[in-house]
Amino acid sequence: MSNVIDRIGQLLAQLQSPDFYEREEAVKELGMYSEDETVAGLVLALEDSDLGIRELAADRLGQMKGEIVSQLLIRFLSHGDIGTRNLAAEILVRIGRPAVPPLIEAIDNDDHDVRKFVVDVLGLIKDDAAVEPLCGRLSDENPNVVCSAAEALGEIGSSRAITPLVAAYDGTEDVRLQAVEALGKIGDPSALDTLFGYLKSDDPLILYAVIEAIGSIGLKDSVSSLRKYLDHKDPTIAEAALTAIINISIKHGGKIDCDLPLDRFTGFLFGGIKNRDKNITEFTLNRLTHWYGQGIVKSLLEVLDFVDEVTLKRVSEVLGEVGPSAAELILEKFAGASSGTKLVLLDIIKQFIDDDMAQKLEAFADDPDPEVRQKVAYTLGMAGYAGAVPTLKKLAVDEVGHVRAAAFGALGWLCSEEEADFLFMGLQDKYPDVREAAMGALVIVSGPRVVAKFTADLYHQEAERQRLAVTALGLIGETEVVDPLIKAINHPEASVRKSAINALARIAEVPNVQPLILALNDENSGVRKAAIAALIAVRGEQAVPEIRFLLDDEDVWVRYHTISSIGDLGLDKFSDYLIPYLEDEQDILKIAATKALAQMGCKRALPELKKLRREKNKDIVEAAEIAVSSLERGRR
Amino acid sequence: MEITLREDANVTTLSLKGRLDLATGSALKEQIIQLFEKEKTTIHLNLGEVEFINSSGLGSLVSIMKEIRLRKGRLTLSNLASYVQEIFEITQLSHIFEIFATEEEALNSYQAVTAS
Repeated sequence: MSNVIDRIGQLLAQLQSPDFYEREEAVKELGMYSEDETVAGLVLALEDSDLGIRELAADRLGQMKGEIVSQLLIRFLSHGDIGTRNLAAEILVRIGRPAVPPLIEAIDNDDHDVRKFVVDVLGLIKDDAAVEPLCGRLSDENPNVVCSAAEALGEIGSSRAITPLVAAYDGTEDVRLQAVEALGKIGDPSALDTLFGYLKSDDPLILYAVIEAIGSIGLKDSVSSLRKYLDHKDPTIAEAALTAIINISIKHGGKIDCDLPLDRFTGFLFGGIKNRDKNITEFTLNRLTHWYGQGIVKSLLEVLDFVDEVTLKRVSEVLGEVGPSAAELILEKFAGASSGTKLVLLDIIKQFIDDDMAQKLEAFADDPDPEVRQKVAYTLGMAGYAGAVPTLKKLAVDEVGHVRAAAFGALGWLCSEEEADFLFMGLQDKYPDVREAAMGALVIVSGPRVVAKFTADLYHQEAERQRLAVTALGLIGETEVVDPLIKAINHPEASVRKSAINALARIAEVPNVQPLILALNDENSGVRKAAIAALIAVRGEQAVPEIRFLLDDEDVWVRYHTISSIGDLGLDKFSDYLIPYLEDEQDILKIAATKALAQMGCKRALPELKKLRREKNKDIVEAAEIAVSSLERGRR
Repeated sequence: MEITLREDANVTTLSLKGRLDLATGSALKEQIIQLFEKEKTTIHLNLGEVEFINSSGLGSLVSIMKEIRLRKGRLTLSNLASYVQEIFEITQLSHIFEIFATEEEALNSYQAVTAS
């Protein structure tokens, strides 16, 4: 213990060192001790010449939360240096409730500056125990202390302060504004009658505060008293009345059963939206479905650049609902808007664009921003306006790849097969996403010419064109693509063979399955797997005898795929083919067989499956647990 | 293809099951035109059980979309299987259709618009 005291003594001495780092170390170490002496040291450090040291000491003191600390700190509220006074007050606020009793003791201090600090700190701590002492300060000889006491009582929000605040209002002119504000913050409806009386005040500042306080209390019945102030000659008072009504309305879920002359307040309301006032924004946007005209549309367009994402979505929805009647104004705004706003406007336009508007939008297809050009392309496509094809063809040769991709996408939605040659040019683009977009457009356009050209492309000299061709034929998926796809099963490229088979599996209506059966012997294991899936898709359970030999394929994944495909049929009659794989040397096949037999409802496999629960491989154990549980419940 | 129809206050939902191709796409369009006659132009298509869609099926959906836009209505899609989703991405139809992950999300979007 004496060692600790000695060490603290050394640290206190170290606080006088001219070296910053030594003093800093001393403060840090002092903060680790709980002895009273350390508090004195840290309090002294509040007067250090270096701000960093002072803040470090303040931080350590704030964590101590004791009455002794508070008592020492209160002495600093009369310090000659304002910075030190503020720092002491800040630490006291951080200490919170434990600082309240010593602060209450100091509330009658002879120095009015100290009394004011004490009152301010008590207001910030917001402890209910300070209400009566603070009410006592409402009759302080110093008006600053009185005003601070009223503010502090408002912060604490106790109804016990209402009567003293009303008395202070009546007794001291200087405190009226703070008293009214405090009554509003307390929010107790019992103060309303008094506040309605204060509405007679000639002082516009008081009147403003009273209206605001009535709004804060939020009683629905107050709206009728506030409504007449909407006609007040002073626009600030009228706007305060509207704000109060809005706050009451929000508090009651938007229901105030009262018509409001909102047209007169358009500038104020949309100014509130621009300034991101939450209540004004919610109130205004909620009323827009039955309150719009050209003026409102203009105001809505003006706030687009200022609002957050959630509000932007709401504003966009409202403008979308207003629809074509806002079209002219939107296009007018579009011409001079920033790129970001243009993108938002295009999102709005797409909700209701028609041929007429699409025609006007074409003028913006050469916007300097590629993102805008891209969105213009999509929007023109969405409009379904065939007249936009020449513009989209221009965008399809734009210098920026994603603009070209968008243009090809839109052309696909608008063009007929007559434009197929132009769309096929997109397959030669240097960027893969543009090639894919052109291919996608051709899939939608489809038709005999497109199918014939893609069929020829299956044997194109470039592998990419072959890939695009087989993918496109698969996606077109019409009867006329089946024959070219069947022929492609013998394509020299394994990837084309595999894609052709996958496409046939999806189409499922294949008249001649012989090439698929032959593909089960393909040299490429991926093609063999695709052939298994295709035969199951086309022939169902009839395919099992044909694919069964692949249970002995040299490639473990082909064996795995065969087991899984048979299992997917869910037919117990094929279980005997799979039970032997529960003892396979490959864990992955044991798992596949376990899952498949459970799907097939094969209860005969239960003894073998139960044995698998003792395997070392936890994946096998898990699969076996699930299979056993499923079979024992008799579920498939 | 089976089509199940459900009419709610804000939206008519058609749940499709099976293959969406030339024949079934035309049948779907017919059914939607009948809804137009009843002034139903807010339509949701649940494609959760569509196992195959080809270019004619896509064409039908694009055509239905155009018809609904002409009538100032709204069309939403939901529950696209990964294969159908892939086709929508490749053809960029995902840019013109309002696609939701689930029917519930789609129907909620109608309620949100009505409420606002």
